[in-house]
Amino acid sequence: MNDQKFYLSKEGFQKFEQELKRLLVLKQKKIHSGAPTALHSEELDIEFVSFKEELDLLENRIEEIEYILKNAILIEPPKGAEREKINLGAKIEVEVNGHTDQFILVGTLEANPEEGKISNESLLGRALFGKKIGEQVVLENGPVYTIKKITY
Amino acid sequence: MDSTLKFLIKLGALKEKPRRGWQAHQIPDAETTASHIFRTIFLAWVLGSKKRLNINKLIKMALVHDICEVFAKDETPYDPLLPASFDSVQAQRKTENILQQWPKFSLAQKKKKNRLKYQREKKALRKLLSFAPSVLRREMEELWEDFEKGLSKEGRFAKQVDKAENFLQGMEYWAKYGRIQRDLWLRWAKEIFDDPVIVDFVKTIEKQVVKTKSKKQPKQNHKKN
Repeated sequence: MNDQKFYLSKEGFQKFEQELKRLLVLKQKKIHSGAPTALHSEELDIEFVSFKEELDLLENRIEEIEYILKNAILIEPPKGAEREKINLGAKIEVEVNGHTDQFILVGTLEANPEEGKISNESLLGRALFGKKIGEQVVLENGPVYTIKKITY
Repeated sequence: MDSTLKFLIKLGALKEKPRRGWQAHQIPDAETTASHIFRTIFLAWVLGSKKRLNINKLIKMALVHDICEVFAKDETPYDPLLPASFDSVQAQRKTENILQQWPKFSLAQKKKKNRLKYQREKKALRKLLSFAPSVLRREMEELWEDFEKGLSKEGRFAKQVDKAENFLQGMEYWAKYGRIQRDLWLRWAKEIFDDPVIVDFVKTIEKQVVKTKSKKQPKQNHKKN
């Protein structure tokens, strides 16, 4: 099976790298501090279970970030005529129903619609991709989006 | 009082807390936060089983995702534009006008709004978890954090499931009372969902909604003070 690819901005990539470094240090500290000895009884040793669970959580997150970084594609600002088109990383101003709205087109890992960061895999993201200023996007049962500005 | 009992009593408040977004739309007997959590859990389980996800983690995440609302306000995308209470005629009129349109905020405003909401909710969550059994506190906070920040694939999926449940409820209320701006909600759905399983599910709701006529038209039903 092919690995999933993750589009990341430079800032997004650095954020994951920093988190990974921090987690690896944390994991080492945790291991060196030593596991509480598991008691040989039938009762649940809460301290030991808690240590194991925290370590598992750390390891899961480390694995996930390593996978993301291994499969990351860095979003580069486009050059030349490509800058006139909506690509990943574009800051877009649109007119919808007579009002102006702004979005940033990002990969799914950095999508945060509450902050205006729209995923390139959302229906709107897919429709906007590759469009130029003045062009319109119409989605089924949706409004018309007119592209007013594209910046990188 | 026993700490576990205290925690459960605090959580019980969510069974009585109406969702603020529906109150703003003047939905009679608006569902509570606990009702929303209940169906979010099932949605997470049902839709999550179509993907290679840790269902146990996903269900726990759906359980904790809104528990901070025991102490935090249930914020809507229209806040801080909405009045604090919808009781007066004036507040209801103001709210109706606000809800007619898409909430307009600049990218910087959206970012700030989101950051402040996160901080308020995290503080409320910690307050609630101070009553929780100590052995579970950390796990609950980690799950909530994962959900909020979309740290794992389960966290990212749960976040969209939460919104899909909200969308389904909104469309049900639209069909029943007509007080929801259906077209704005359909637009919202196209901007926020990107997981293929959720996109398919939302399309199914949309197909149903576009061939349904709202039973009641929006009506001005201001309470008298």
